[in-house]
Amino acid sequence: MFKWKKQGRVFNPAEIKGKPWLSEFAQAPATLIFEDFVRIYFACRPPRDPSSGQYVSYTAYVDVKRDNLLDIISFSESPILPLGAPGTFDEFGTYPTSILRHNGELVAYFGGWTRCSSVPFTVGIGKAYSNDDGKTFQKVGKGGPIISYTPDEPFIISGPKIRRFNDRWYLFYIAGKKWVMDNGKPEPVYRIRLATSTDGVNWIKHGKDLIQTKVEENEAQASPDVIYWNGKYHMFFCYRYSTNYRENKRGYRIGYAFSDDLINWTRNDEHVGIDISTNDEFDNQSIAYPHVFELDGNLHMLYLGNEVGRFGFGWAKLNG
Amino acid sequence: MNWNKLGKIFDPTQHKLANNCVEFAQSPQTLVFEEFIRIYFSTREKDSAGKYISHIAYIDMDKEFKELLKISNHTIITMGELGCYDEHGIFPFNVLRDNTNILGFIGGWSRRVSVDIETSIGLAISTDNGETFKRIGAGPVLSSTLDEPFLVGDPFVQKINNKYHMWYIYGTNWIQNPSKNVKERVYKIGHAISDDAVNWRKTNKQLIADKLNENECQALPSVIFHNNKYHMVFCYRQALGFRENSKDAYRLGYAFSDDGLNWQRDDENIGIEPTVNSWDSDMMCYPHIFSCNNNIYLLYNGNNFGRFGFGLAVLEN
Repeated sequence: MFKWKKQGRVFNPAEIKGKPWLSEFAQAPATLIFEDFVRIYFACRPPRDPSSGQYVSYTAYVDVKRDNLLDIISFSESPILPLGAPGTFDEFGTYPTSILRHNGELVAYFGGWTRCSSVPFTVGIGKAYSNDDGKTFQKVGKGGPIISYTPDEPFIISGPKIRRFNDRWYLFYIAGKKWVMDNGKPEPVYRIRLATSTDGVNWIKHGKDLIQTKVEENEAQASPDVIYWNGKYHMFFCYRYSTNYRENKRGYRIGYAFSDDLINWTRNDEHVGIDISTNDEFDNQSIAYPHVFELDGNLHMLYLGNEVGRFGFGWAKLNG
Repeated sequence: MNWNKLGKIFDPTQHKLANNCVEFAQSPQTLVFEEFIRIYFSTREKDSAGKYISHIAYIDMDKEFKELLKISNHTIITMGELGCYDEHGIFPFNVLRDNTNILGFIGGWSRRVSVDIETSIGLAISTDNGETFKRIGAGPVLSSTLDEPFLVGDPFVQKINNKYHMWYIYGTNWIQNPSKNVKERVYKIGHAISDDAVNWRKTNKQLIADKLNENECQALPSVIFHNNKYHMVFCYRQALGFRENSKDAYRLGYAFSDDGLNWQRDDENIGIEPTVNSWDSDMMCYPHIFSCNNNIYLLYNGNNFGRFGFGLAVLEN
């Protein structure tokens, strides 16, 4: 049984001035720990494009103090990745991004967004490296994704979380199952998936949904964040109904599962130990996109509040 | 090579087709039966938005190509599901007899916003001699990868020494058309190999050298093994102006190879050219090379990308 104590919101994106690319949303936090500070990568958006009425997403970061993640040192000067060229998978967004340091190299796996005609979007996963300690990243390849769509994963391959366990790369991600119509608007159903690799280049898809559904058959699951701790693998993720999810009771909540082998997972949401706030806080409607990490002997969680991070992300600390 | 043109053999506007299709019979692809030859092609309906959707139909002809025996009047394969790679059309549809099954490789199209379309290649299987095909899944078997970022299409598959070989095309660039507010695609011919026709390994190499310029568009590779060599017929065009100007439009190209991987382009020896004042005077495209009754034949489309059908040529010895 986990018990998380909420520490507060790290920042409100609406209050950040002078950075046009960070005007709305702070989504999908992911940390990279430095000796003197913690770097939190997140996705953010400039205002909607007035002609199309649509958003693009960038990934940027905020550096915060190790002993108090609410104590901001500075924001990145620019987004860490450019958008892709016309027709490529990441032409309209790089979100979310997962970063790992391995053998002195910093590698990023990111979701890239493009716009479709019959449905609003699809997503692919790209890969990039940094040569400047994570300030900027250069994409690998000639503009394509690192994981392809396959017969059982036809669209929306997104939400990468890159991990290394037992000398192997583990990429947890989500894959679209179907689009369901909600009052004439297509809404995607997606589930948590896994691919593994020995070299980070050639990936073998596990080919199965890792986490059982709970709220309905069309449950959408996202942000499969995995950590090894106390002799077990733990996954924190989020889930929601596929339709009318902007309504409080059907919106995102954080779920939990555990595993001994990274393949077979037991879902046990009763032990997640975190829920929406009951006061008028930024997270009193929904909580989503958890990221759990160990820092200075404690487990910490970053998570999104209402409207999937429109008002920023919060920090919680494991109690005891 | 030296081809004897036998003329246009099918005009879709002269027949009734299923799925409200009225024009176009593009990218003819053959399946040889004992008694007859079946030719699949892509034909088009206009959807409620006024945009085209390509469906698959077939005709059966006698093996001398003298008589039209049958035109399909049913749905051979449905369109892809909402949001899938083949939601807005199948073009081309490459068929391969594989033991008792017929494999159908789908060139699937889905519409985009910043560019017109994206394509990927899927697999469907027929267990009723090619009357109907069922997909193995909603997603593709070959699509964009790190070095082939978009527009994976035009599958042509052969089984050689128990391995499946696919020749296909992949996009390299979307370039701005300076005279219109649209982007135009550039694509090249590639190759992939598979043990099961489902999991493919790309060779990750442009197989055919450019002739016109780096933005040359190469399409519809079609391969046959004959006289101890692999022969490929494909089509190529300029990236811009190809709809308006005959000189920039599709022509047929030719290459040969000892191993199917390393190709020598040799367009001078293609042995077939447009005929003035004919159905193929302005354009020749979407070739399909095959053998039947000890002859080697070439099916292809002419003017207007096959809006008014396809024709046939036979290889002279």
